[in-house]
This record gives sequence, structure tokens and C-alpha cells, in this order.
Amino acid sequence: MTTPALQERFQTLVDTHKKILYKVCNSYCRNRDDREDLAQEIIVQLWRSFDTFDECSRFSTWMYRIALNVAISFYRRESTRTRYVLSDDERLLNAVDDTATQPAEIQVLYEFIEGLDPLNKALVLLYLDGNSYLEIANVLGISETNVATKISRLKQEMRQEFRGTVRA
Amino acid sequence: MLDLDEMKQMWADHDRKLEESIRLNMQLLSAAKLDKTQSALMRLTIYMALEAAVWLVIIVALGSFIYEHISQTKFVVSAVILDLYSIGMLNSLIRQIAASRLIDYGKPVAMIQKQIEALRIMRIRTTKWGVLTGFVVWVPSMIVVFKAAFRVNLYEPYWVWSMVTFGLALIPLTIWTSKRFSERMDGSSFIQSLMKSLAGYNLTAAADFVASVSEFQNEKHAS
Repeated sequence: MTTPALQERFQTLVDTHKKILYKVCNSYCRNRDDREDLAQEIIVQLWRSFDTFDECSRFSTWMYRIALNVAISFYRRESTRTRYVLSDDERLLNAVDDTATQPAEIQVLYEFIEGLDPLNKALVLLYLDGNSYLEIANVLGISETNVATKISRLKQEMRQEFRGTVRA
Repeated sequence: MLDLDEMKQMWADHDRKLEESIRLNMQLLSAAKLDKTQSALMRLTIYMALEAAVWLVIIVALGSFIYEHISQTKFVVSAVILDLYSIGMLNSLIRQIAASRLIDYGKPVAMIQKQIEALRIMRIRTTKWGVLTGFVVWVPSMIVVFKAAFRVNLYEPYWVWSMVTFGLALIPLTIWTSKRFSERMDGSSFIQSLMKSLAGYNLTAAADFVASVSEFQNEKHAS
């Protein structure tokens, strides 16, 4: 089942879409070790499910679904995880801890996302990433109308949230 | 004021910069490394399968015990109570394993989150009722174990009813203690989680999340 070609294809696709991994991890975890744990769980789940990936659909949509499903479960897990101290060589996503060097505006955006509940967090992340309402609906499993309604409400909330925060 | 279009633009700029700044550790993406790593759900499934195997062995052993002591009502009744408890635990575990195998993370988020939460609810209920009924079931367990392992007859009506009454009294006391102290158990996440399950907090949280997913799915109009 596991062939070098399959593995190479998996690596290429994940590498091409690594930004999804980064943004999901950063949106659901602010702690560096948690982000690394989450990144690894997402990658493992992507690999386990890779043979069920339907070539007719977009890889990014499928990756978003898996990443968000794993992230929400991770976020909601009641027990704390066993921690291991990892060296940089052992880390999967080496820029995950780059929050300190991010521009203030981006940090504010991540903080805004962090304040949302796990489902709305997914919605905002998909919206900011430039996905269409149809794509967002496909990832989240809700109707396009519902997406439009929620985005409209979130726009109002975001305007209020950022009023005077980012721009002096 | 920053409007949504500006935010999207800012996010797009951030996205472009990420392309250069993120490095994936490709060595960790090799199949050999990934196959060794078990996801949380996979670990849970393996743990549940092992637990189910243990319950199955207990059920078979109890069947054999009942057959051997069929003429001695006190031992048969004790073993049947224990057997029913074991069958209940096994049934719940099999349902949990089946539910966990149906979860496909590649499906839409709202649907999968409901499935995951339904599994969590099943697990919390099993833990809660497994522990609480265990306060009573340990009495027939002792009778059966001592008879089977050491040929010792522990059955003494006064002792049995005292222990059963004590066990029954312990149930509300445990729920009360869990409700009162679960938040203070900072040292052990396992104990804290167990106490929250016994107190019903974990079940309430899971039910609330299912309700919020349903609301998220069904919402039609902006408030």
C-alpha cells in the first residue's frame, strides 16, 4: 500500500500547502509546544487518510477539512498532553514559533481569531484565506447562505474589534 | 478603522511572506516516521480494543464459573451480576470502537465534530456509570474472585448487604465530592477529568458543544 511514489506525492502536496498547516496551528494554539503537537497530529491524520483522498476534489479543501477537524478536537480535548522537549531538528514546522517576528497587525488578527469559538475560528480563517463561500461551505459542511450570513455578522464584529486597535 | 477588505489584503501579504519563512521537516514526513506515530484517535481505539479483549476474557471466565457453580445460588447470582456489568462495559466499548472507525477526518467539519463529540459522550457515560456501579459491583466481584481463586466462601449475608448499602451510599457522596473538588485537582489531569465526568461537567460540556455545532449548521439569519 505504501509506495515511494505515494509518499513522494504526499510530501509534495503537503509541502505545497504547508501554509494551511501553519495558519491552522497558529489560529488554534498560541503555545509553541502545543502548535508543534497539533502540526504533528494533523500530518499523521493526513497521511492515514491519504489513500481516501479523492483526486477529483481539491487537495487544499481536503487538507483544510482534516486540519480543522484535528485542530478542533485538539482544542477541545479535556486532558493535558504529555510533553516532550523537542530540538529544532525534531520539529515538523520550524516557523510555527515565528509569532514574535510577525507584524503587529498580523498578531492582532491572530488574537482576534483566537478569541472566537472553534467553529467561527475555522470560518474566519477560511474567509481570510480567500476561499469562496462555496469552498467554505464545502469545508465546514454548512450551506452557502449560512456562510454568507455568518460572514456578514463577523464583518460587523471584526469592525468593532479592530476599530482603533490597529490604526491609530 | 480597518475594514474587512484591508484585513484580507493584510492576510494575503502575510500569506506571501509565509511561503518563504516556513520550513517543513521533510524527514519527519517520511512514511516510516509517520506510520510509527499514532494519532490520538488511533491510540484511543487501540486502548479500547485492549480493554474490550479483557472484558471478553472476564465474560468467558464468568460463564465457566457459573457453569461450575450452577447449583449454588449465591455464587451464580454474584457471577451473573458481574457478568451483566462486564457485558454492559463490553457493549459500550464495541459501540465506541465502531463509532471511532466511522470517523473520517476528510469529511466536512460540522459533521465530523458531531461524530467525535458523540463518541466523547459515549466514553464519558461509560466512565461515569462504570465507576459508580463499580461501588456496588465490587461486592459480587470479591465473592466470585475469592471462590474461584482461593476456594474461599466470602458470602455472608450481613457482610454482603452492609457492603452493598455502603457502596450505594458512596454513589451520591462521590458525585457531590466530584462537583465540589474537580476544579481544584490541579496536580492530575486524569483525576480532574474523571471527577468532571463523575460530576457530569464533561457530559454537559460535550452536549453544549453538540448543540453549538447544530446551531452553527442550522443558523439561517444574522441576528
